[in-house]
Formats: sequence, C-alpha cells, structure tokens
Amino acid sequence: MSDFLRLKERRIMNHQQLIAELAGIKDRLTGIDETSNNRLYLNCKAEDSFAVNKFIFEHVGARFLIATGIDAEDCFEVLYHFSYDQTGCVITVKARIDDRQKPSIESISTFLPAAEWIEREIHDLFGIEIINHPDMRRLILSDDWPEGVHPLRKRVPAEAAQEKEK
Amino acid sequence: MNWKIWSLKKSPWVFHVNTGACNNCDIEIVNLLTPKFDVERFGIKLVGSPRHADALLVTGVVTRQAAPRLLEVYRQTPKPCVVFAVGACACETGIFHNGYHVAGPVDKVIRQIDPNAIIAYVPGCPPKPEAMISGVVKALSVL
Repeated sequence: MSDFLRLKERRIMNHQQLIAELAGIKDRLTGIDETSNNRLYLNCKAEDSFAVNKFIFEHVGARFLIATGIDAEDCFEVLYHFSYDQTGCVITVKARIDDRQKPSIESISTFLPAAEWIEREIHDLFGIEIINHPDMRRLILSDDWPEGVHPLRKRVPAEAAQEKEK
Repeated sequence: MNWKIWSLKKSPWVFHVNTGACNNCDIEIVNLLTPKFDVERFGIKLVGSPRHADALLVTGVVTRQAAPRLLEVYRQTPKPCVVFAVGACACETGIFHNGYHVAGPVDKVIRQIDPNAIIAYVPGCPPKPEAMISGVVKALSVL
C-alpha cells in the first residue's frame, strides 16, 4: 500500500512539526523561505522537483492546489503549490530550470493525476517539456496555433508577433 | 415590410453563443428569462439550434479557437438575422484588446463572411438586463 492510502496512520502536525518534517528532503533543497507563518517556499533544482513533490504529497500529506510557470528571463521556474489543510499552510515547491534552450521537468502526474492538465497548460504556454507525461496533447491554445510558439514567454519569437498582427 | 422581417420582429427567437466570455454576461442573459424580466412575454425565446434562430446573442471576445465556430453558427442561421454583441468584450474586445489569442470583436469576425450583417451592440460589463431588452427593442425598431 502506498503512503498516500495510509491516511489514518498519518499524524496531524503543527507548524513546527511540519518544518521539522521537511528535514527528510533537506539535501534536495537549495533553500527554504518562510515569508509568513503560513507560507513556505521550498527552492530546488528541476531535477529534484519530482522527489520533493512526491515527498510533500505522499509523506507530508499536503493537498495539491495548482502549478504555476514563470519565465524569469535567466531561467524558467515551475511552482507547485500545496496546501497543508491542518494548519492552513501553503507550501510552494519552486523548481528552477536553468536550461533555457531545452527546458524540461519531470511530470508529477504519474503519482498525482490532478496535475495532468496544468502541466499540459504550462507546456503550451511556456514550452517547458514535461517528461513522462501520460498525455501531452495541446490543451489551451487553438488548433491553428503555430507549433513552437509559446505566448507567455518574455521573448516571443518574431513569427508570433506577426501572427498577432493578422 | 416583407413578411420575413415582420415575423422576425413579431417573435425573435434567439440562439446564445459564448465565444469566450467569462460567464458574467451569460448569467445576465439567464436573468432575462427569470420571472422578474421574463422576456418570453415579448416573444423572445432562447432556442437550442441556430437553424431555429432569428437572432444570435454573442457574448465574450472571439478567441482564435471560437472564430471559425462562430462563423459556422452564423452561416447556419437563416437570414435575415440580427447579431447582438453583448458586453464590452463582444463589442470591442474590452480588456482583451491585442491579446495573443484574440481573433477580434464580434462585428469584425462576422463581417469577414457577411459585410452587410445586422449587428447590434449592448455594451456593459456585464450589461444590465434592462440594457439588453432596450438593445433588442432598438435593433428591432430600425429593421
């Protein structure tokens, strides 16, 4: 039985215990920011994001809210937001993708099917390759949208700008 | 007045098309059918197919994906028909002006295939039900 199904055995932690629990993935994180007493940012590299997300979801037992993509000029970021409902703490896993030419990140929908669509949307809008995704069809852009143009990138290619003029 | 126009004005049957609205205009349209406004007493009735309709009630900015579908619905509507652009987005794209996924306001898209389309504008975000009734009255009175 996976960790996820052992809900009854899972203890309810207060905020201090929650932070102490994060020691289990400390070596995969590049930093923890606590911007307020119910907001936690766990910074990590894209390669480690799968393990960190799996830990937060299956071991800590936080609920997946949504993921966000950011084009931060020098890198891409994918933010996975989780809510730990027992204390109301929102945990954000901030995965940094340094490779701007071929950005990629591992899909978390293998253990968290609710993330499938938002990962497809991030793929459409930012062109971040989602590795191991079960269904990588286009989700949000129109059928006639040119391949390889990602509208939410900071530097939209010239062809996209021309398309917009039409 | 020819009989086609007479029958259109007597009881305009309306087909509702959402081409990318946030649902706020749609909720106000549903409001028109509630007992408070009850536009069916004027013979205005929502129908389930553009082939039955005298008027199209278009809400929302026309997105790239919705544009060919809106044109197809317009082709299927028997002419003469009136197109109502309901809300700020449908009238002139509103806050979505120059958005990357926007094909244009409703009038621009429909005039691509029918330059003489009869288009009525009901601005507002969302327009009040009274404004929509007034828009219908104004449009029908100039036909």
